[in-house]
Amino acid sequence: MFVPAKCNSPKTKKHEFMSNDIKQTITRIAEIIINELKLEDVTPETFNPDLDLIDEVGVDSMDLATVALVLRDEYGIRIDEDDYPKLTSVRIIAQYILDKQNSKE
Amino acid sequence: MKTVSSLLDEPWYERYKNISKLNIRSSIYDVTNRCNLRCKGCFFFSSGEHEVAAEENDVGKWHAFVTKEMDRGVNLAILIGGEPTLCLDRVEAFYKKLPTFCATNGLIKVPRDRFPDMMVGISLWGDAEDETILRGKDTFKISSANYAGDPHAYYLYTITPKQLGKTEKIIGKIRDVGLKVHMQLLSNDEKVDGFSWQPEELIAVRAEMDSMLDAYPETVISSKYYHEVITTGKMLGRSFGWMECPSVTEPLDKRNPRPKRLISFIRWSSELQTMHRCCTSETRDCSTCKDGAAHMSWVMVNKRAHIKTTKDLQNWIEVYEMFAKLYQFIPW
Repeated sequence: MFVPAKCNSPKTKKHEFMSNDIKQTITRIAEIIINELKLEDVTPETFNPDLDLIDEVGVDSMDLATVALVLRDEYGIRIDEDDYPKLTSVRIIAQYILDKQNSKE
Repeated sequence: MKTVSSLLDEPWYERYKNISKLNIRSSIYDVTNRCNLRCKGCFFFSSGEHEVAAEENDVGKWHAFVTKEMDRGVNLAILIGGEPTLCLDRVEAFYKKLPTFCATNGLIKVPRDRFPDMMVGISLWGDAEDETILRGKDTFKISSANYAGDPHAYYLYTITPKQLGKTEKIIGKIRDVGLKVHMQLLSNDEKVDGFSWQPEELIAVRAEMDSMLDAYPETVISSKYYHEVITTGKMLGRSFGWMECPSVTEPLDKRNPRPKRLISFIRWSSELQTMHRCCTSETRDCSTCKDGAAHMSWVMVNKRAHIKTTKDLQNWIEVYEMFAKLYQFIPW
């Protein structure tokens, strides 16, 4: 009983940390996208993180390049242009950033 | 926040999705400094662009250059001139590797055994009388014989003020030889007498272009919104000009603020090192420029600005579809 609990505890904490981390990242990315692309009638809190940025918001590769520059400065990661087609929602971008940061650690 | 699906019904949304991820990255290439015509009003010669740099004559260097362009992300080569068909080996360097469009006056037939599906845009500047005044001969007779019924060719009909009231006759002739047509307007760089647009003529030509699209929907590849934008020089209340044009060569683009623009766009000279400022003449007054591709691109790069109303977004879709058809990214 004791051993598994000891093992699980850090995992749970790490999971909670990751969960909070992605939530914060999602909100911040939504804020960046709203500001950079001058989107109207939406806030970081109301921005649906699963909304398809290309099919629904109309984001194009120049928009993504603009956002990528801000994300590079803020998170210290470089977004490869070849990855742009994969970055179709705020949640996917957030996970992409966290994965890149983790792989640097 | 307005979203695409909130503005479109299902059929329009499907049309949007067919084009929304095309991610077209074009650049323009002068294939040669030479031409077998000397047209009054052709910006290439009137602005001295044929003398900017010598031609690269080593075909091997053209092949290496195309590979570098692909590495730069270019996925559509637009070949202009001079007259590209004078140097088919250079044209082939592009065609073998990239989706390629070749502008031509149609006097030399592109051999379809070497270029089976290369899209060819044949320039036409009006009826026999105007063609003779501006180009020295009526090219339609020859070009239509060369390309009649070709599914990978269409006419680029440059309408001049003198064509008002005559466009139907021309479009009928094009339909009768089994080809399609895209309409654009002459930018009279050389100020040839009687060929400069007056405001009332631009209103009239817009109405005429609209009626041609209505009357010949199978022949005319166009959209009414494109007609509006190119004749008024306005889009969503903004005016076309240097600070709005999307077709400026990227490494030479020092504009601040930088407008929405074509990513990685360069117009190269036929020496393969010198870049021209934009898709047309550097000496042209941007506020009166009527370049069709620049105006189409202006609409296309401003997608989000059109996600305001259903009509705006439908207009954007129609212009993008028009461009995608003209360069074979979607079928006619």
